[in-house]
Amino acid sequence: MAKKKNKQIIRPWCWYCEREFEDEKVLMQHQKAKHFKCNMCPRRLNTAGGLAVHIQQVHKLEPENLPRIENALPGRDGYEVEIFGMEGIPAPDVADYKRRKEIELGLNPGSISQPPTKRPKVENRALSEAELRAQLEAHKALMGGSESANLPPAESSSAAVYGAPPQAYAAPPVPAMGPPVPSMSPPGVVPPPGAPSPFPPFAVPPFAPGMMPPLISPGAMPPGYPPMPPGFPMPPPGAILPGAPPFPMIPGGRPPFPPPPFLPPGASPPPGFSPPNAAATPPAPPTFVPASQQVQAPPPSASATPFTPPPSVPPPSAPPELRLPDPKLSQTNAPFKKPTELKWTDPNFSPEEHRAINTKYYFPKDVTSHQQGQSYGQGEESRGKKRARAEDLF
Amino acid sequence: MAEQIELSSPPFDSVSNVRFSPSNPSQLLVSSWDTTVRLYDVEANEQKAKFDHRAAVLACSFATSERAYSGGLDTYLRELDLPSERINHLGQHADAISSISYAKDMNSVISGSWDRTVRFWDPRAPTPQTASYNVPERVYHMDLVNNTLVVAMASRLFNIYDIRKMDSPQSRESSLKFMTRALACMIDGQGFATASVEGRIAVEYLDPETQDKNYAFKCHRQTISDVDHVWPVNSLAFHPIYNTFASAGSDGTVSIWDHKLKKRLRQYPKYSGPIPSIAFNCNGTKLAVGVSYTWDEGEQGAKTAESPKVFVRTVGDEVKPKGWTGN
Repeated sequence: MAKKKNKQIIRPWCWYCEREFEDEKVLMQHQKAKHFKCNMCPRRLNTAGGLAVHIQQVHKLEPENLPRIENALPGRDGYEVEIFGMEGIPAPDVADYKRRKEIELGLNPGSISQPPTKRPKVENRALSEAELRAQLEAHKALMGGSESANLPPAESSSAAVYGAPPQAYAAPPVPAMGPPVPSMSPPGVVPPPGAPSPFPPFAVPPFAPGMMPPLISPGAMPPGYPPMPPGFPMPPPGAILPGAPPFPMIPGGRPPFPPPPFLPPGASPPPGFSPPNAAATPPAPPTFVPASQQVQAPPPSASATPFTPPPSVPPPSAPPELRLPDPKLSQTNAPFKKPTELKWTDPNFSPEEHRAINTKYYFPKDVTSHQQGQSYGQGEESRGKKRARAEDLF
Repeated sequence: MAEQIELSSPPFDSVSNVRFSPSNPSQLLVSSWDTTVRLYDVEANEQKAKFDHRAAVLACSFATSERAYSGGLDTYLRELDLPSERINHLGQHADAISSISYAKDMNSVISGSWDRTVRFWDPRAPTPQTASYNVPERVYHMDLVNNTLVVAMASRLFNIYDIRKMDSPQSRESSLKFMTRALACMIDGQGFATASVEGRIAVEYLDPETQDKNYAFKCHRQTISDVDHVWPVNSLAFHPIYNTFASAGSDGTVSIWDHKLKKRLRQYPKYSGPIPSIAFNCNGTKLAVGVSYTWDEGEQGAKTAESPKVFVRTVGDEVKPKGWTGN
């Protein structure tokens, strides 16, 4: 048993060159090819002794003139040790190798070289009364101290939890995410972190552009961006002049701090994402409430906007059904001879065409509205149909 | 050198197309259903630029290492200036753009669309669109090698053009019985490989005289309790030096094939999800692998799909034909 365990940790290795192998068969092949190969003829032998006898008898060499074993580490190129796979390795070398292996693998000393400690034997007999009493005393001693010392504080601490006014614990600085809407989530709801999100972070406007909070100028800050991360040094709310931006703006419209690049969407939702009951529960502690939300009247979370989908989603015109442009060319899938599960079975429309008419991706074509060849600057494009612009952030 | 890296900032929705720069081996463009095209430096594993679109992007293509083109569901062909991240709209199709190629010699962008046209664009001209050619079916895929443009369409149709005289295409029907799902031209310009939704790849030669050399084989399938599970082969890519090719399927596997010996050279360990697109870089040292949901199970499958990933695999001798001597 112990040997088997060892094998799981230490793979077969070659004594001559200390190479490791998947199993002993490969190791033996390696030894035959690398170490027990006669350099005077193509013959390969199984052991060092075999090679010595072969060279002496076939090639008529004196025992003292035997060539050293090829490809071996210094000191291990002799014929004295009879090695066959893992058998015959001198015990000190095995121990030494295991010790080095332990260091290499970062294991505790002895974890390979010593068999795992056996379970301590438990005597399976009834305890005598004296023993029982002694054990009881020991147990009491162990528990007794804590009984007197620990219990009351534990009670009081729990009382502190349960008896505390709810405000002390309600409304953490990062508002809880809106309840995940199971089926068709309106774009205001950000999927939980880690979920595949179709939208770039912060690109989703919590409110339609027209309903932007009055104090944030549209160019200065994209609507979906949290105005202030918790911990950002900010002046007291009173210091902010009405109408002034809540913090100094860098020209070019970038927020003063770069958005965390790999922040999962929803990790720090903007104020618009506060659950609807946020208006009912007093926002506490007040110092954490973003300044912009304080001076806004009314705060966006108080309005119903975040949970009514913007007018463009779902698209005003429902996606059309897929229609063959040339019905004459309609295809049918050939039948299969064997039972077959074909993963894509529509012979006439590709997965992309089906995906393109899904409400999440559907884009009504406005072929007539723009002339060909017309060139747009980056900022002029009206891309507000589905999502806000995100390039200001990056 | 790690065998493969995962890009640290992949798109948020399925990858539609991955393309390497024609001159810079570490520049990678990734277009996505999240309406973006992203530019990566795969050596540094950094996102260098991001271009937002109005709708899902289906196709992208480099022109030079500083200029690229994109198109998708919003039907516009866009020119992307990579250093400045500026977008220039060249024009519009009547339906989604599904494929884009760049003809270096003519300085032309070629776009294929579900509106059943293939259009040529000169990005410098005041009216960029220079020509439009009607094709019998919706364009699914295009690939260009030298002056040969192969257009794969719905209804298993193919048109093969010489882009210098576009009016006389060679029309073919696919040798595969199922919908064409991928297309790639051989580097030596002798032919192309196509793949279907029914786990099969066909190797076809352009020369009408050597059509008997064409063949097809099965792949990207698995027999599970006596039932053949057959996945679409979503992407093909020829190695720029060895002319072997890689195939990727919805089964999450990538295989390397030697089409001359008709042998598989390597199958890489399976990825965690379907692979919509693969591409080799210009010096053939890296293979980009997009891993994301490919809508094979419709909207239902999207709910359980894993988040998109993009891997860049460093390839070694496995892409080299056996006994490669230099040609």
